[in-house]
Amino acid sequence: MTMDEASMVGLMGRVTGAVGPGLVGEVIVRVRGGAEHFLAYPSSAKDRIEPGTLVMVMEYLPPRTVYVSAAYDS
Amino acid sequence: MFIGMIAGAAVGAVLVLIGLFKLMWRVAEPNEALIISGSKHKMEGLEAGMGFRIVTGRGTLVLPGMQAVRKLSLDLNQTELSVDCVTHQGIPLKIRGVVIFKVGDDFVSIANAARRFLDQQKRVSERVHNVFAGHLRSIVGGLTVEDMIRDRDKLTGQTRAACGTEMEKLGLIVDSLQIHEIEDPTGYIKNLAMPHAAAVQRDARIAQAEANRLATEAEQQAAARMAEATRDSEILQAGYQAERDNAAAKAQQAGPLAEAAAKQEVVVQETRVAELVAARREQQLQTDVRKPADAKAYEKRTLAEAERDARISAAQAKAKETELAAAAEATATQVTGEAEAAARQAKGLAAAEATRAKGLAEAEGIKARAAALAENQEAVIAQQLAEQWPEIVQAGASAFGNVDNMVVLNGADGMADMFAKALTMGGTGLGLARQLLSSMNQNAVPAGGSAGVNGVPVEKVQVDRES
Repeated sequence: MTMDEASMVGLMGRVTGAVGPGLVGEVIVRVRGGAEHFLAYPSSAKDRIEPGTLVMVMEYLPPRTVYVSAAYDS
Repeated sequence: MFIGMIAGAAVGAVLVLIGLFKLMWRVAEPNEALIISGSKHKMEGLEAGMGFRIVTGRGTLVLPGMQAVRKLSLDLNQTELSVDCVTHQGIPLKIRGVVIFKVGDDFVSIANAARRFLDQQKRVSERVHNVFAGHLRSIVGGLTVEDMIRDRDKLTGQTRAACGTEMEKLGLIVDSLQIHEIEDPTGYIKNLAMPHAAAVQRDARIAQAEANRLATEAEQQAAARMAEATRDSEILQAGYQAERDNAAAKAQQAGPLAEAAAKQEVVVQETRVAELVAARREQQLQTDVRKPADAKAYEKRTLAEAERDARISAAQAKAKETELAAAAEATATQVTGEAEAAARQAKGLAAAEATRAKGLAEAEGIKARAAALAENQEAVIAQQLAEQWPEIVQAGASAFGNVDNMVVLNGADGMADMFAKALTMGGTGLGLARQLLSSMNQNAVPAGGSAGVNGVPVEKVQVDRES
């Protein structure tokens, strides 16, 4: 459903497994009234995002893959 | 009646409607998804071509007979893993773990899962076990034992990398993968831990020893301080006790001292009184006893002296008297003695004269006998024998005197015979005596002359003279 797909993008999430090139990361995102985890890849290929970082979902690939980038540049 | 029937029919109709609705209305529970298939229906939340409808968390109208409703559980599942693996270093391990997974909550995951597991929901665990067993082998093969033990993040990362996409295909999400146990038949892990354990043990022992040392030092210091404090305290206590004893003794002595002083005063006074009494008594005795006694003694002495003088005089007089009497007696005795002596002398002389006269007479007799003997010896001897016969016979009989029993075998004749023989022996003795006499006479001729002059022995008469 396109609505679901659209609703995922732009959501905020937290990294629970390091996201980076060559890694399969994990983020947990609030969605559908709960919190679900998704497999995460960096949206820009060279980023490495450590666990605990706040991220924004840039792209959603159903069923459970998202591309994320750090929410705040630090 | 009619109205009643209408009301009844209406109620029945309502009941029928409710029953129909119950049959057609299905509600999805929070942990399940309804998969509705059959006939044409609104493609809710899914792209076209999916061919079924997914309802979660609410009710939906289902036409019985036209549509099929199946439930897909969205609950958590778990699979026990028990896998023999070989690590990167080639060490065989047996790993026990658990995978906790569920069907994803999004419609895509539900659709994927529904297509794969709807009829075999009970066997999902088995499938997942197979998937994970293979993947775990590959994961462990890419890790070392040290990594597995120390770097859990790496293990989960690898697991996610290997299984995440695959599970995605199945519409499942892995909530958790846990390694419970790593069985290590070669003892690698134990040996790995050994140096560290030994070091830790060593450090622990060192630390313990050090701690013991420090504790002992502290204890000993504390004990020494305690002993010091005890000593000081005891010294102080002893000092205070001594002071207290001193004071107490003084206090105790104060009473007796005062008492003694008072007593002493009393005794002094009493002594003085006694002295006075004694002095008075002495005075009294002087007057009462001594003076009279002196007087009496003087009297007695004087009397005794007088008596003594009198007795001396008497004794002297008596002595004189006795002396005079003795002298007189002596004189008398002398006179008497002299007289007695003279008398005795006269008596003695008279006796001597008488004896002499007798001796002369005897000598005359002997001379006459000797003359007769010279003339007729045998007659004289016979006469003498006859004179002496009884003695001779007695002497002869004395031979039988010691005989207790005499047996005379010849009777009376024998007896006479024996006496005759004894008498004959006397006769033989007579002859022997005659010989003897003759020999005596021959030998005694010179001696006979002197014996003839002084034939009579002179008897000396002792005369005691008293001086």
